[in-house]
Amino acid sequence: MNYGVYIHIPFCRRKCGYCDFYSLAGKDEMMEPYVDALINEMAARGRIAAEGEAATLYVGGGTPTALPIRLLSLVLQAARSSFRIAADAEITVEANPATVDLEYMTALETLGVTRLSIGAQEFNDSILRRIGRIHTARDTRDAVKWARAAGIVNVSLDLMYGLPGQTLDDVIWSVGSAMDLAVNHISVYGLTIEDGTPFSAMAESGELVLPTEEESEEMYDYLTGKLPPYGFARYEISNFAREGFESRHNIGYWSDTPYIGVGAAAASYWDGRRYTNVRDAAKYIETIGRGELPATLSEQPTRKNAMEEYCFLALRMAQGIEKEAFAGKFGEPIEKIYGDAIKNLKDNGLLTEENGFLRLTDKGMKLGNVAFRAFIL
Amino acid sequence: MDQSHIRNFSIIAHIDHGKSTIADRLIERTGTLSSREMEDQVLDSMELERERGITIKAQTVRLLYDSKNGEQYELNLIDTPGHVDFNYEVSRSLAACEGALLVVDAAQGVEAQTLANVYLALEHDLEIVPVINKIDLPSADPDKVKREIEEVIGLDASDAILCSAKTGEGIDEILEAIVERVPEPTGDDKKPLRALIFDSYFDSYKGVIAHVRLMDGHIRKGDALRMMATQKTFEVTDVGCFRPAPVEVGSLSAGDVGFVAGSLKNVRDVRVGDTITSEKNPAPEALPGYRGVTPMVYCGLYPVDSGDFDNLKEALEKLQLNDAALVFEPETSVALGFGFRCGFLGLLHMDVIQERLEREYHLELITTAPSVIYHVHRTDGEMVPVDNPAKLPPPQKIDFIEEPYVKATIIVPNDYVGAVMQVSQEKRGEYSSMDYLDVNRVMLVYHMPLSEIIYDYFDELKSTTRGYASLDYELSDYRPSKLVKLDILLNGDPVDALSTIVFSEQAPRRGRELAAKLRELIPRQMFEIPIQAAVGSKIVARENVRAYRKDVIAKCYGGDISRKRKLLEKQKEGKKRMKAVGSVEIPQEAFMAVLKIH
Repeated sequence: MNYGVYIHIPFCRRKCGYCDFYSLAGKDEMMEPYVDALINEMAARGRIAAEGEAATLYVGGGTPTALPIRLLSLVLQAARSSFRIAADAEITVEANPATVDLEYMTALETLGVTRLSIGAQEFNDSILRRIGRIHTARDTRDAVKWARAAGIVNVSLDLMYGLPGQTLDDVIWSVGSAMDLAVNHISVYGLTIEDGTPFSAMAESGELVLPTEEESEEMYDYLTGKLPPYGFARYEISNFAREGFESRHNIGYWSDTPYIGVGAAAASYWDGRRYTNVRDAAKYIETIGRGELPATLSEQPTRKNAMEEYCFLALRMAQGIEKEAFAGKFGEPIEKIYGDAIKNLKDNGLLTEENGFLRLTDKGMKLGNVAFRAFIL
Repeated sequence: MDQSHIRNFSIIAHIDHGKSTIADRLIERTGTLSSREMEDQVLDSMELERERGITIKAQTVRLLYDSKNGEQYELNLIDTPGHVDFNYEVSRSLAACEGALLVVDAAQGVEAQTLANVYLALEHDLEIVPVINKIDLPSADPDKVKREIEEVIGLDASDAILCSAKTGEGIDEILEAIVERVPEPTGDDKKPLRALIFDSYFDSYKGVIAHVRLMDGHIRKGDALRMMATQKTFEVTDVGCFRPAPVEVGSLSAGDVGFVAGSLKNVRDVRVGDTITSEKNPAPEALPGYRGVTPMVYCGLYPVDSGDFDNLKEALEKLQLNDAALVFEPETSVALGFGFRCGFLGLLHMDVIQERLEREYHLELITTAPSVIYHVHRTDGEMVPVDNPAKLPPPQKIDFIEEPYVKATIIVPNDYVGAVMQVSQEKRGEYSSMDYLDVNRVMLVYHMPLSEIIYDYFDELKSTTRGYASLDYELSDYRPSKLVKLDILLNGDPVDALSTIVFSEQAPRRGRELAAKLRELIPRQMFEIPIQAAVGSKIVARENVRAYRKDVIAKCYGGDISRKRKLLEKQKEGKKRMKAVGSVEIPQEAFMAVLKIH
């Protein structure tokens, strides 16, 4: 059985105002013990997954490239010795443009990294500063060039819209810049204000001036409308790729493929159960030190939850839910469970059916959460 | 005890003037409960009553008091509900007494509510003992309050008792005054039994328990008795008094206050104001003053989850066991499905029932805007009472409509007279009189439609007078009005549960306000929702709830799918408190929006 491996590196030079992922800034002294713990966890988890093969490996964060290359090398080497990594595996590392140089990229290539996901977000430096990024547009351009120079062909950029002070012109400029760099993959994320982040407090106090709903929608329309004609197919609700450059690892999340997440706060999906690791690097290190696994069951798996997740994850993909696959997995036709929801979404133009697949329309993608909620029983 | 040693009294006070605290002190001082047993304000036993600081159900307690004259007296304190909704209950409680303590806040003076109850007490010829409470407050001005009592009510206040229920000062004086000034009962225990029912409640072991005041005759365990109004007969299984928990005493006789129980299953058989007499030796005539309860305000109660209909029915039936004033019957709304039209004594009563249903029975309810009872005179000459706007006959079948009017008494500092007059006129009030209570307080009397009072009169009165106005009202009569039905259409479909009956001249404005309020309350949905307000086929207002255009949380949380699912579940949960009417989801508060326009 094929599976994916996710490795979480929680360290950052600085935490961005909007970020609510598990990450730590200014805890460099914890890097060494954390990497030791990761290596130990991978060894233990590799034994459990012995009979399968890892088709994808994804190092995310935080900022994986905040680690000195020496430590990141140890992590990648340990992954190779702990898991049976397929010969043609997709190995992705997330990078912050301000933390890499040609040497770093070359080292990654040597370690077998096949794909870089670069957190560009924007190409306007004043917006980048405002949202707490440590890099500039120039850094992004350099990072892409160095990756190419080092021989990493498959490069993805993250772009954000709906940022404070951002206009449609900024978004147009971002898309143009990404085209100039000839990347193969683009992820598009709208800014969401998450509880507990600095942005949440600033939004409440009025310090944060966000684009209006209409402006933000224009940006969304531009991005989702422009990228496909430029050759980037929207294969998932927020991901666009040139043919053959879709992220195999992320597709795994959406298509019921098992994955092992290692590191603090990492999520796993194994044997139909979902687990999360303890969301605290110090506790994580301590737990591994005691020879225990830091994973806890997120909740008791139920048939209801499994159906809900299956549907809203599959709907993220352009192809949608394969009705036969649903029936095969759950023993009942999808209409029996979700007949009303499906009809209602179809009536409102959010969902369409073709060749045995139920998929979101453009309107449905735009109202993704509305459609997903309809599949919560 | 012999009647010369019995005193029956109640306490009249405006809300917050300290009635319950004084009652507590009396109970404590007479040793009825040790201070260890004293819970604050023991008489207000219902949780809701404590929270709101008001008395909803009247309670009774027998105090044994050793007077300074060396004799022991039985003092029966009959607590009265303190809200205008329960006026009839108050009048029955007062009818059971010979005297009343009139408690007035030393800092605030006489209020509208006080007045109304004093007048009721005077109608029953009660001896009134003025008590000026809270004299410990720095802002207390007992002399001014005495003058007010004399000038406004016309009572001699020269021997008013100054007291502080908080410090205990004056409590002994109150007890002595009750003995000396409240007349003893003058019933005859040789005459056939006549016992006044002034309250009742349902006990799951003993059945309905009637609070009674014996005017003549006596009651013993085993007696066969009859209710003179309902003609219900029963055999006495328990007879006793409240201290404040019920205690069996075996018998009660003329002058006594206590309770009687006897395999009565339905509070409807035990009507407040009814007279209990003996089956074998009945009294020739019942005590005066009985009337059936008539609800003044109606609203629809619907379960949010239509599967809860039976639970709602059961809960209403249970509440009704203890509340003879609550009436309900099933009704259907096109928009809301199956529910009940419920009648209440007033808005507070409605609020209390609604809260108890939600709190004690865990029901999620949609309440439609309250309505008064309109008298609709049809062109065929017949009059039909209408308590639900959706049931108003079509205009061509209506000759004219009458609506209930009240006499509203407002007491306010004279600086605000202009403001009160303006608000009252806007609410179609007809000026009746104005009197100065003292140099700076004024009593205004208006006649106005009850519907305006329910709508927002009191709120506006309070806000334009910075909370200084006090209001009391009583139903006066029915008067013809130019009334029309204001309908609300969502997405082109009329929503019956949102219809209201309004004064025709106000219809366009009310329509605009209501539509605007609904636009705020109805969340954006997948499609645009036009909101229209219409009188007949004429659209008087239009608003739009724009469709929401984009709702996508793109990040997939590095594979933390459970978190994403929980987030979706939480959002979905938020939507559960909405009612789907056709394809539109409407939040509960929208159905009360008509009351929230300002």
